[in-house]
Amino acid sequence: MDNSATATLKLAAEPGQWQRLSPVAIMYFAVAFIRALVGNFVYLLPALLLSYNKIKQNPQLWLPALGALLLLCATVGWLKFHYYRYRLYQGNLQIKSGVLQKKHLDLPFERIQNIRLEQPLFYRPTDHVCMLLDTAGSAKQEAKIYALPKAFAEQLKSRILNNRAGAEHQQPQTDAVEQQEQLLNARSTKDLIIHGITSNRIWLFLGGLAPFYDNMFDSAAIWLERLGVDLQAMFDPATQAWWQYGIYLVSLVLLLMLGLTLLSIGGSLLTFHGFRLTRIDDRYIRRSGLLTRHEVSMKLSRLQMIVAKQDWLDRVLGRINLKFEQLNASFEHAGAVAVTGKLMVPSVKADECEFLMADALPGNQLADITFTPISRRHILRTMLLPTLVYLPLACIMAYKQLWPELMIASLALFTSAALLTLRWWRWGYASDAEFMYIRKGLLGIDRYCLPIHKIQQTRFSQSLLMKRSGLCSIKLVLACGAQTIPYIPSHIGHALINTALHKVEREKRPWM
Amino acid sequence: MSQILFTNQSLSVHNLADVTALEMQRLSPRYAPLNLLCGTIFLLFLLTILAAIRWQTWLTLPDWYLHLFPLIFGGLVAVGLLWLLYDYLADKRKGYAVREQDLSYQSGLFFQSLVTQPILRVQHVELKRGPIERKAGLATLQVFSAGGSLYTFAIPGLPEADARKLRQFILSHSDVSQDG
Repeated sequence: MDNSATATLKLAAEPGQWQRLSPVAIMYFAVAFIRALVGNFVYLLPALLLSYNKIKQNPQLWLPALGALLLLCATVGWLKFHYYRYRLYQGNLQIKSGVLQKKHLDLPFERIQNIRLEQPLFYRPTDHVCMLLDTAGSAKQEAKIYALPKAFAEQLKSRILNNRAGAEHQQPQTDAVEQQEQLLNARSTKDLIIHGITSNRIWLFLGGLAPFYDNMFDSAAIWLERLGVDLQAMFDPATQAWWQYGIYLVSLVLLLMLGLTLLSIGGSLLTFHGFRLTRIDDRYIRRSGLLTRHEVSMKLSRLQMIVAKQDWLDRVLGRINLKFEQLNASFEHAGAVAVTGKLMVPSVKADECEFLMADALPGNQLADITFTPISRRHILRTMLLPTLVYLPLACIMAYKQLWPELMIASLALFTSAALLTLRWWRWGYASDAEFMYIRKGLLGIDRYCLPIHKIQQTRFSQSLLMKRSGLCSIKLVLACGAQTIPYIPSHIGHALINTALHKVEREKRPWM
Repeated sequence: MSQILFTNQSLSVHNLADVTALEMQRLSPRYAPLNLLCGTIFLLFLLTILAAIRWQTWLTLPDWYLHLFPLIFGGLVAVGLLWLLYDYLADKRKGYAVREQDLSYQSGLFFQSLVTQPILRVQHVELKRGPIERKAGLATLQVFSAGGSLYTFAIPGLPEADARKLRQFILSHSDVSQDG
């Protein structure tokens, strides 16, 4: 702490003085440079691997080359470190950086939405962190202070956050850090393993690999053959009984799924290891990460919506992924920032979920409110497209007497009808004086709770057919995106919109 | 535990200001014809390109294009005319309403919608005037909220003076804060 205390003193004594980073930053820059190099030259790797033997035989060539490369990285790291300066000046964070291309960033405190601290593995021994400052605007406006002693970073953070609150909210700046953090939730390794199993990454991964299936199967077959397993014979219906064939197939699929599940568990542990959600005053802080420690903080007043997501496997295991949605996280901060910057509590149990929800939005009844179903016409409407595709196809198939194809097509139609009916069944809405609740999903269930006073815009829409049967859809736009409630009675739609507008315009409560 | 802070005073829906009883203002009478004109010009442009490809002499065209040309051309004319008619009728139906606390914009012929933007949530306002709009003395009022660019509230086809008045009304509204 004394280290940071002197640093704070320095900062306080010389307001507006340009500050340098800690020299550990050289390491950060060098690693970032190596990463960029690897990212750009990854396609050279196969060539390198092919000539691996040749390279190995000529150490007099590759040793100096490697040395030169390392020297280059070190030089780039040092240069970037050398030209990097930052200061706090008249309510602004200013950063000068760049070796060849100079950059000057001017970031007013009040524009800073979120401050995150990140601790890469190599910062641990010296206890340094990297500070990331998000702004409401584009991702380009994101600022980074690459290396600060951790305690000092905490103080700087609370100083910026307090400064932003303005003169009427002047707190002693160092107090915020000293204040006791209240632990809201922590995740054990067991929880994270469950999260790894239930999270959908497996299927995403499978989908992402789709273009390579052919190659993968070919090389797998060659590899297995070398091990003495003859796939061709194994999967030849002529030499194998159908049940043997089936067992092989099932075990192969299970093996594949096991591997992918292990990968997913690894990913979950990597991101969420040591997960702790704490609260100081009106601020939530999430810390997690196995290698790089991430810290995300969110002012409670910026919370726009709570989402409790349950996939089918989550439902079986009784777990819930709880998401706290902030500003536009969905589309404006797409990419890596969105993943790490989101405040999600992975795989909590129902009682923990209820506790967290009650803490974040006191008085909400998401856990036990009764949802009203939407109109059955929603099924008809969503079945329209599949039916329109099916009918002409079926006619052609029947005309050409392609019976098996017709059966598959009919089966597909019935499956989609079943799924769409399930989707309709999941849709539901409810509201009370403070919140609107929406439930939707297909196999899983997602429940949303939105504070009515944070609504930004409303939309009432209906087609002429819907109008005739007295139905409408409404859309509620919030700063974190929009939520739709489709196919509800028009008078209820109007009432919901009227009440929402009334509440927003009458109470005039801030949305952030 | 959720009962502690929870209040649920009943609010009678009948006492609230009702979005179904809005006094709709029409857009400028020049808006629909102007849009029709633009649409027609665009359609003619497409048709000219199709015809130009058909009768140009530099390239030899695939047979199917020559065979299907009357069909493509005729189809485009039919679809284009229907589209123009639908658009024209829809444009006629567009309207907006201003209340003390919010703005509403109504649109659509078959798919009708009514968007309402509380002025309290407005972040900033823009008047947009393209070259054609400028010629016709029209303007589009765009109102931005924190809902994001996808949900920008816009009223097209306003007479320029009205658009400026509306903009001033929003800006001078006591609830539009400086810092958003």
